[in-house]
Amino acid sequence: MENISIRAENVTKKFGEFTAVDSLSVEIRSGRVFGFLGPNGAGKTTTIRMIVGIIHPDSGRIEVLGSSSPELVQNKIGYLPEERGLYKKMKIVDQLRYFAALKGVSRSEIDRRIDYWLERMKLLEWKNKKSNDLSKGMAQKIQFISAVLHDPELLILDEPFSGLDPINVEFLIDIVSELKSQNKTIIFSTHLMETAERLCDDILLINKSRKVVSGTLRDVKSSFRKNIVALRIIGGEKVLIDKSLVARLEENSDEKRVFLAEHADSQLLLRRLINDGATVLKFELVEPSLKDIFIEKITDPGD
Amino acid sequence: MSKKIFVVIKHEYRKIVLKWSFLIGTFLLPLMGILLSLIPVLVFSIKVEPMRLVIADPTGKIKSKFEKALNKSNSEGFSDLENESTESTQERREKRTPVADFILVDYSTDEKDEEQIQRELKAKILNGEIDAYIIIPRNFTDTSAKFELYSRRAEDVLLNSVINSALNRAVRAERLSKTNISEDELMSLMSKVNFSVKKISNEGEEKEGGSYFGVGFFIALLIYITLSIYGQTILSAVLEEKETRIAEILFSSAKPIELMIGKLIGVGLACLTQLAIWLFSALLILLFSLPYLLAKGFQIPQISPAAVILYLLYFLIGFFTYASVFALIGSAVTNMQEGGQFSLVPVSLMLVSFYLCLVVIRDPNSTISTVISVLPFSAPLAMPIRIIAETPPIWQIGLSMIVNVAAVFGIIWLSSRIYRVGMLMYGKRPTLPELFRWIRES
Repeated sequence: MENISIRAENVTKKFGEFTAVDSLSVEIRSGRVFGFLGPNGAGKTTTIRMIVGIIHPDSGRIEVLGSSSPELVQNKIGYLPEERGLYKKMKIVDQLRYFAALKGVSRSEIDRRIDYWLERMKLLEWKNKKSNDLSKGMAQKIQFISAVLHDPELLILDEPFSGLDPINVEFLIDIVSELKSQNKTIIFSTHLMETAERLCDDILLINKSRKVVSGTLRDVKSSFRKNIVALRIIGGEKVLIDKSLVARLEENSDEKRVFLAEHADSQLLLRRLINDGATVLKFELVEPSLKDIFIEKITDPGD
Repeated sequence: MSKKIFVVIKHEYRKIVLKWSFLIGTFLLPLMGILLSLIPVLVFSIKVEPMRLVIADPTGKIKSKFEKALNKSNSEGFSDLENESTESTQERREKRTPVADFILVDYSTDEKDEEQIQRELKAKILNGEIDAYIIIPRNFTDTSAKFELYSRRAEDVLLNSVINSALNRAVRAERLSKTNISEDELMSLMSKVNFSVKKISNEGEEKEGGSYFGVGFFIALLIYITLSIYGQTILSAVLEEKETRIAEILFSSAKPIELMIGKLIGVGLACLTQLAIWLFSALLILLFSLPYLLAKGFQIPQISPAAVILYLLYFLIGFFTYASVFALIGSAVTNMQEGGQFSLVPVSLMLVSFYLCLVVIRDPNSTISTVISVLPFSAPLAMPIRIIAETPPIWQIGLSMIVNVAAVFGIIWLSSRIYRVGMLMYGKRPTLPELFRWIRES
């Protein structure tokens, strides 16, 4: 039985009339990367804030790292909020020292860790500069450092990739992988499906305050009954518009993606295309991507 | 409370004290104070253009007396017979810089009547020959005589006063010459009595009275200025953490109440540091100038150690009372502009309390003064003043303390409820009913 880092049972949170999170239940296993996925306004940030202990559920239970009061384990949790900032006219090193001290890092350790991480992020020479001297990308790296400085068991990143250029996205993915290999539990929320697909072991898809689907990435993908065919073809248009076979057609620059209709058989499609005289260059059954699942589930929640 | 609160205190303290602005502010404020108090002196000693004055004296009797009197009034101060006659004031009055140079322009009044004199002199003013003239009335020793100064520089009240004073002296001298009294005899006749004030305190001690007004006023002003500055500091510190969203990280690291109280204490310590520097330098200056001041008859106000402790306590009470309100505002609004608008509430309270202090200064033991020194918000300024003037009964101090400390706890409690919720609300500013909901929900 694997360790459970976080256990949420029927957690609900309302703000006045608005329900942000509705009866959410989830178990997050330790040592794995967990993806909180969903569109904006779905309830991801609210759920995360409850895990971190910033706000409290109206009903239901949340247990984090074995404690039902997140405040008791705050020192073991690293949090990078979605909307993030730094003190405007303060030196980087002073800010990091403050954040680390608040998380209980001992005085002797703080400077060593700050140097390590600044080095790792290639920002060592900015140590004594003020935060308004930094570019946005650099500032985000500093913010990330503040979330990991105290070597937390549980790392929670809310939309960590937003605003990062592709190089820095890769950089961040590397670091996350490294942290995972150190047996840390990592939760991140994002609406960037491609990135989530690369990193997550387990996912939870949330929409309009409710859980849509959850489980390991593998399970979720395979339970998704839609078949998708990657198709490169010349001709066959008549077949492709047959709604009994093709639910949706996605045109990309060099190939099409055919979303088979309910109960349609991929082999039947192939036969029909050939019979129609099309030249088939590529016909491959592919797994749905997370993005496909996302779009499907969000637009058609009854599945 | 864990030791995290000390982390916050240390951070907030260093954030203020380790900036250049702190040092500059510490020296700038007293400097500004000194400059402001020097302005009247500067105004009085500015040399203006010489005034060309005509004294048209058809009687011929007063002109020379006036000239002499003008010199005296110019350099020895305006004549106030009562003051002039006291020996000690005579000794103390040194020659000072003349207010202005007067050039007495000759003018003959022979064979001219009033109308003509007026016309001619007015013309002289208009064509720039002279600046002002007086036509001495024929009955100039009568009390009903009117002396009118026609001047192109009528706005310079100083010049006018010098001339007025000179006229007083000159006419007086003329009146005296008709009697048998000499100027010196007149002086001793008019001598002021030797009058001084001694205070009987509750214990029956005799102390020098009178200097307490200044000290009381000064202390109230000091507290007022300090609270204004540091109230703003708290407001912008809270707002910065809200606007930059740092509050989210902070809230995930420590309890909101620890963050808020740590902030209040940290800023409070910085404030005390600044006050300490000021008081210390003031004491140094006082020490150095003590011999000089004592010679001038300056009395050192006697303040007991117990009083000092009470001042400190009341200062702390005042600080936490007002600072918590500023923290509340900072966490409820969404930007500095709104923050500034709502700051008017505590600032107005401070201002009203300051004015109420003047009431207290005048009559420290009246009923209204007692009430003012017990109510929260006004007590921190008023009670120290009462203590200087005359130590109020212990029960009043006790009552005031209890009420105010309770108020501080209450306000901090209220502020922390709003702080908890408000720091994470980035959207619209909350309405009053929403604020109440926050307080209940927390």
